[in-house]
Amino acid sequence: MQHIASRILDRELKKGSAELLILSLVEDRPRHGYDLSKLIESRSGGVLTFRVASLYPLLYRLEKRGWIQGRWIEKAGQRRRRYYRLTAAGAQVLASQRNTWKEFVEAINRIAGVEHA
Amino acid sequence: MPEWPRRIREEMRQHLDDEYDAMRARGVPHDEAMRRLARDVDELASMRTRPADAVATDTRYALRALRKSPGFTIVVMLTLALGIGATTAIFTVVDAVMLRPYPYADMNRIVGLAEVTRKGQTMSIAWPNFQDWREQNQVFEHLAIYRGMVVNLTGSDRPERLIASLASSDLFKALGMPAIVGRTFAADEDKPGAPRVAVVSERFWRSHLNADPAAIGSSLTLNGEPHTIVGVMPAGMRFPSRLTDVWLPLGLFVPAFPAERGAHPGLFGVAKLKPGVSVERASADMDAIARRLEQQYPMSNTDHTVAVQAYYEQIVQNVRPALLTLACAVAFVLLIACANLANLMLARADGRQREIAIREALGASRWRIFQQLLTESILMALGGGVLGALLARWAVAAFVATRPTTVPRIDLIAVDARVLAFAIVVSIVTGIAFGLAPALRASSLDLLASLKDAAHGSAGTGRRMRSALVVGEVAMAIVLLVGAGLTIRSFAALTALDLGFDPSRVVTMRVSVPTARYPEVARWIAFHRDILGRAGAIPGVDAVGLNSATPLEGGGSESEVRYEGQPPPRSASEEATTCLFQATTPDYFRAMGIAIVRGRTFTDRDDAAGAPVAIVEDALARKFFPDADPIGKRIAFEFTGGHGPAARPIWREIVGVVRHVRHYGLVREPDNLEVYAPLEQLPIWFRERRPNMTLFVRTPLAPEQLAASIRQAVSSVDPQIPIFSVLTMEEYVGQATEQPRLNMTLLAVFGGLALVLASVGIYGVLSYIVGRRTQEIGIRLALGATRGDVMRLVVGHGMRLAIAGILIGLAAAWAVTRSLTSLLYGISPHDPATFAAIAAMLAAVALAASYVPGRRATRVDPMLALRAE
Repeated sequence: MQHIASRILDRELKKGSAELLILSLVEDRPRHGYDLSKLIESRSGGVLTFRVASLYPLLYRLEKRGWIQGRWIEKAGQRRRRYYRLTAAGAQVLASQRNTWKEFVEAINRIAGVEHA
Repeated sequence: MPEWPRRIREEMRQHLDDEYDAMRARGVPHDEAMRRLARDVDELASMRTRPADAVATDTRYALRALRKSPGFTIVVMLTLALGIGATTAIFTVVDAVMLRPYPYADMNRIVGLAEVTRKGQTMSIAWPNFQDWREQNQVFEHLAIYRGMVVNLTGSDRPERLIASLASSDLFKALGMPAIVGRTFAADEDKPGAPRVAVVSERFWRSHLNADPAAIGSSLTLNGEPHTIVGVMPAGMRFPSRLTDVWLPLGLFVPAFPAERGAHPGLFGVAKLKPGVSVERASADMDAIARRLEQQYPMSNTDHTVAVQAYYEQIVQNVRPALLTLACAVAFVLLIACANLANLMLARADGRQREIAIREALGASRWRIFQQLLTESILMALGGGVLGALLARWAVAAFVATRPTTVPRIDLIAVDARVLAFAIVVSIVTGIAFGLAPALRASSLDLLASLKDAAHGSAGTGRRMRSALVVGEVAMAIVLLVGAGLTIRSFAALTALDLGFDPSRVVTMRVSVPTARYPEVARWIAFHRDILGRAGAIPGVDAVGLNSATPLEGGGSESEVRYEGQPPPRSASEEATTCLFQATTPDYFRAMGIAIVRGRTFTDRDDAAGAPVAIVEDALARKFFPDADPIGKRIAFEFTGGHGPAARPIWREIVGVVRHVRHYGLVREPDNLEVYAPLEQLPIWFRERRPNMTLFVRTPLAPEQLAASIRQAVSSVDPQIPIFSVLTMEEYVGQATEQPRLNMTLLAVFGGLALVLASVGIYGVLSYIVGRRTQEIGIRLALGATRGDVMRLVVGHGMRLAIAGILIGLAAAWAVTRSLTSLLYGISPHDPATFAAIAAMLAAVALAASYVPGRRATRVDPMLALRAE
């Protein structure tokens, strides 16, 4: 039972954090989907992974909301790729989400007492 | 489930591709990698995307795929541009000359008529025969007769010469062409003594009458006589020639036509068949009339019948063989290009097997993949087509600029909408032709097998297909090159012909001195002597002569010729010896560089008071006097008292023998022997119908400069006499060799293209095979094979393909070149030397094309090749 409960938590956490993760990764420079998925995987030490079938619809939704903007870029000898960059609106959302997340993590920590030093 | 935009699929596909590549790079085997991706693939396949326009998507995808390999795309498009450009250019000519409709009503019922001997020699129609044809035939709705003539137009500052056509009033009805302004002439204006009327061409109406409708009713002075303009013909009226300026009623000139049936005064017929009457039936009907006339008039009509030929055939018959040959040649070039491209596409499709396999795994149907690949080739073909159309436009403009005289309707030849439509259709068909095989193969690949095996070149069928394409290419190249080789050798034979004169530095121009202005023969002759003297006095003129015929131009006046003491003909049907007789001035031979082999040229003493003399060509001397000196012998080509036994010959003494001069073009050599008479002793046939004399001037001066001086000189004698057709003899030679030169040049260009394409094809296939067999070669080398063995392996493979192609090509060429016979001169269409030389040349090229990949194979490092596994 506990196992299942932790999987649900996992999923909900990911869902809640996914937007934040993507917005932060495209903050400093435009990135394409494969790049994003590899970065999330490697920086989280393999804890967080996205399936293809959820990553790209998410990117599509973010773009539709106007938070990121995608552009096809051709490079000689490579497949063309769609690079996403953060928009001004996206930057605002990112700032507020970061804040919310920070407050949320702090609150959880205070309650659950998993704070480290 | 939401619907996602289609581009999401592409992003996801990219992602999976990247993932696959990454796994493979880490050493994950293909099967395992595909297994790990399977779930994503499933998810992706089950995603619903918005339906989109498949063509637009395919096009976008194809454009992207092509942009990714610009080198490949450029090579393909250039190859196509050459093939499609050449095809389009030839089509432009074929279309203008043969396909585009003629402006005459019921063109397929219009026929041309001439008299012809049963041996097939065509001649113009005797006036009395024509009258009988007109009365007795049952097959023609309208039967008209016409004759070309040059008339002098005066009344403005400078006299001009116009190209006129004497035509019976039926001519316009036979052609079904009414006037655009005014009317054509009526039957009662087409008879002796009628008031003189004229119908002018649209071109003349514009250039001389300001396109003014009020010009109808005004007067033109032609050959000194006023003619009332009654009508203007439309620009489409090109009968008898597109250069015709004015049509005059033939009836006015009837009294000048000889009443004898043996005389053929340049008249030809044109008729409209009654509906439902075939050309064959008309021929049979006319032949029956000719047989009746033969019985009635055996002296003149024996063995004469009527040639009835569809007018369209008359126009195109001279160019058709060349055009069809060139069309076939260009189709071959295009086919070779297609074979080459199919090969390239096959190689490319092999390189894209994984891409295709993943697309298929993602749920694309084979039909979609097939469509996709075909879209790519059609896009490239269209790109090539656009370049090709530009190329064709340029080539056609260059071709028309050479003003070939042997091509009918040359002024209509242009790249227009019809031609562009043709280019587009050819592009699409081409795209399908070279894209179909690779697309079919790629879309029907056994997925797993190909995915497993992409690196090993298991593609046995692909290799066989590629090899077959190369063999086919080489075979077609052989056929083309043999054709080109034959025309080149034929052209060499033509240009090596002895013309009988020296064409360098000879300028010619025509002088038209109408009988109406100089009715007395003596005055007419004196006028010519006068201008001859003045032309000779121009500084820089080395020699000048006049002659009534121009070499290479197609002959002139012909007559029977006899020698004194010749036995009388045993029967009416015995062929008489005929001659081309000419009126000449003494220095003509020197001006033209015609060698005098015996005796002398004419002198001033060979005048009207002197004894009649003649100069003959050496063949006549040999024929009539095989064992004796011809000088001093007597011949006759003029007769008084009609034809037949009653005819009284006018004997002329031979004073000189000259070399044979080619008068009837380079190739055609009728039996006519050449005879010259002094202008001062004008042959009696010329007394009634005076020839237009041509001035031949040997000079280093430029033709225009000389013409200006001579015009001035002539004008000072008689300002009403025009000088025209200023041409060098070299230009006449150029015209005579024009069509063979054109055939040769174009076939050589196409042959060269074929050779390049075929060698690229061999090279491409071998490079591909070497690339695919690197491991095998590495193993062979590791097992002790020498570099020489490897070279032999690769080159041997190339040469096997080449030799198969050469053998097939030689057999095909043997079968095909017979159709070239009518284009060849002095060489058999099965000339073994040409066949051997072409085979050797292609073998050498194939060897060179195999050598490069062969060398690459010898450089394979066995260790590297093995480690790559």
